[in-house]
Amino acid sequence: MVEATKKRNKIFDYFTTEDQFSGGVAWCAGCPLELIARTVPKVMGNKVVFVGTPSCSAPVLHGQNIGAWHKCSYLACVMTGVASSATGLSRYFHRTNQEATVVAFTGDGCATDIGFQTLSGAAERNERFIYLAYDNEGYMNTGNQRSSSTQKGAATTTTPVGKVGKGKPTAQKNMTMIMLMHKPRYMATANPAYMEDFAKKLQKAKELCKEGFVYLHVFSPCPVGWRIDSNSVIEVCRTATRTNWFPLWEAENGKPRLTVEVAAPKPITEFTKLMRKFSHLKEDGLAELQREIDERYALLKTLVDAAAKQT
Amino acid sequence: MKAKKGKISVMMGNVVAANVARLCRPEVVACYPITPQSEVAETMSGFVADGSLDAEIVEVEGENSAMNVCLAASVAGARTFTATSSYGLVYMYDAIMQASGYRAPVVMINVNRETPGIHAVSSGQQDMIATRDAGWVQIIVENNQEIADQLIMCYRLAEDYDIQLPVMLNYDGYYLSYLNEEVEIPEQSDVDAFLAPLKNQPQRPRIIPGAATGCGTHGMEMGYVEARYKHWAAMDRAKKKVDEIDQQFADYFGRSYGGQIEEYRMNDAEIAILASGSAAGTAKTVVDTKREEGIKVGLVKQRLFRPFPEERLIAALKGKKAVGVIDRSVGFGWKYGPMCTELKAIAPSIGNVPILSYIDGLANLDITIPHIGRVVDEVNAAAKGNAYQAVTWIPME
Amino acid sequence: MVIKHQWIFKTESPWSDANQKMLVLDTGGWRTERPVLDKSLCNYCGLCSLYCPPQCMRDKGDHYEVDLAFCKGCGICAHECPKKALTMKPEGEFTNEG
Repeated sequence: MVEATKKRNKIFDYFTTEDQFSGGVAWCAGCPLELIARTVPKVMGNKVVFVGTPSCSAPVLHGQNIGAWHKCSYLACVMTGVASSATGLSRYFHRTNQEATVVAFTGDGCATDIGFQTLSGAAERNERFIYLAYDNEGYMNTGNQRSSSTQKGAATTTTPVGKVGKGKPTAQKNMTMIMLMHKPRYMATANPAYMEDFAKKLQKAKELCKEGFVYLHVFSPCPVGWRIDSNSVIEVCRTATRTNWFPLWEAENGKPRLTVEVAAPKPITEFTKLMRKFSHLKEDGLAELQREIDERYALLKTLVDAAAKQT
Repeated sequence: MKAKKGKISVMMGNVVAANVARLCRPEVVACYPITPQSEVAETMSGFVADGSLDAEIVEVEGENSAMNVCLAASVAGARTFTATSSYGLVYMYDAIMQASGYRAPVVMINVNRETPGIHAVSSGQQDMIATRDAGWVQIIVENNQEIADQLIMCYRLAEDYDIQLPVMLNYDGYYLSYLNEEVEIPEQSDVDAFLAPLKNQPQRPRIIPGAATGCGTHGMEMGYVEARYKHWAAMDRAKKKVDEIDQQFADYFGRSYGGQIEEYRMNDAEIAILASGSAAGTAKTVVDTKREEGIKVGLVKQRLFRPFPEERLIAALKGKKAVGVIDRSVGFGWKYGPMCTELKAIAPSIGNVPILSYIDGLANLDITIPHIGRVVDEVNAAAKGNAYQAVTWIPME
Repeated sequence: MVIKHQWIFKTESPWSDANQKMLVLDTGGWRTERPVLDKSLCNYCGLCSLYCPPQCMRDKGDHYEVDLAFCKGCGICAHECPKKALTMKPEGEFTNEG
């Protein structure tokens, strides 16, 4: 018998509005992107204006003829122009005193590749909107091709494993570091396995985007492309943080701070074994990947420690 | 009601464009500098800096962003302004199509310059030609006064509820962009008065936070067909609207440009030259000279390039014995220049007469009085039944 | 040209309007397995609801109930349930329920 003192999880208190999306939408079973998308207006409210692109989110963010899949206002734009379109919208909303939270909602392919220039430009101009990049480490909507956010060794349809091919030969672009160097008003990494952490960051993003540019980098493993059992997607998310594959941190005005401390990070093989995109990697390949993750985390930790000393 | 006499100044074309853009009170401005347009961007930024323009100015990191900023602000309800040229126009190509597909009434100056492929920091209309099928209204002007006046008319056209189309105002790089010429700049109150009718029309759709509407929904099957049809129909309506606005402009400001096309000494002309942009000014001089020599020649200055002024051209050219078309660009895939190719499409309605294509003025090579004089002579000979060359690259001979 | 087409958009360009038409997919039909709750084990922690991508776990005050109209059967709820109160069962077992 369960205790009579059942209390709702406090995470629900972060939700300010009901789900703005239709009950049935075309995201794959188990896709964390669906969870991320539904959570954004739940926390930020229904004055969210989405700016979306061709992407896994496009079939849902953008309607079909007059029909819509959600109740937020939105602008569908070209993949190159998400950050600049969000600029145009937020500038005009501010000028005309219209309350709005403009959220450019794109994948890593847009953020790290084709839309990178306009993202960097908007961050440098300190435009007042939120750029949320959901990172599934590749072009998943078009069928799992590599992006510059694909990690070294990963097998994708454009970095296949074969007699010669060993998966992606180069390391993942360190996008969060690049964005940190833009010194945005606020930036954070987030992970749907850590919902309260995610919700807090969305709340903060909504407030701080009134003052300047906000960048959110959200982990979003693709069950189809990464070849993960759909039920273990959240476990993959959690393990990504516990292995330092995807550390959780935030930075106000360029000063990074860990929001989830991992006391004893697990080896990345705990993460890679949960999916098949790295199943071809042998010991040396995995060791190389571990080195990459360790180096990356050490850099972050150095900056976190330095920022802590400054304050 | 008539406009007050505006201030007469000597200004270069780019500065004229910026000054008049300011008078049109754009709310969001995004320009990326490119030769020969840079003074437009600089001057707009200067206006905001000195407080004489109250606009959101976005110093974008590229033309693609300039167009995206403008189209997004435009679908939110803003009046927008941008200016570009050549490589810049090509670099915003995806966003250009987005702007017209969304029926965003963005007004853009395009200072004509040659396009990528061969590096050429020089005048030519190839950039405009490269974007002719993007669904924009494209207008070409001849001189600095026409830049000023047409820019005001562009806002009336773009934001007209029956039109809702982005408009590209083209003028020749170098020839006009850097030409200092006497220009009458209208008073602010008169520009306001001329643009006032835009306020008394239904509200076009716009993105409103919380309103649960979205711009850029997938056009599914007949939804796509319908949107394309409406765009096509609006392009067709724009032709007459250009004439109407020109007439209203003439009534108020006392200056007229003929709307879709300007006809110069065409009434009793037996043969005609078709030209556009600054070369049309030179062509008028040649027409006058050739008239003195007894050749009954007239000029059609094509102002509206997209939509193609089919009906006006037929009315102007019907019954003429021969036509010479001077193109400042190349129509890859066709023998003739782009404007000539298009004129040939309506040739049956003009009459079965020789239409001679001339390619000239590429890469800042002047379209000179002797060049146009030669065109008139050859067209005149063709009209008399003499053999003629279908296409002539004037600088190559 | 005589237009027989019934206009879809009131606007000149393609705009969607959630006030006029909300779209909904029968994602329940995708399912091959469904979560079944053993209420006696549920401690109402809410993790099943929090992590559910389509957000189709309904709050019943002391437990959560899956909305089968939308549940895609991904199994995250059962996998994340700390009390093992949810079990994924093949749809074949429920064919008579329609």
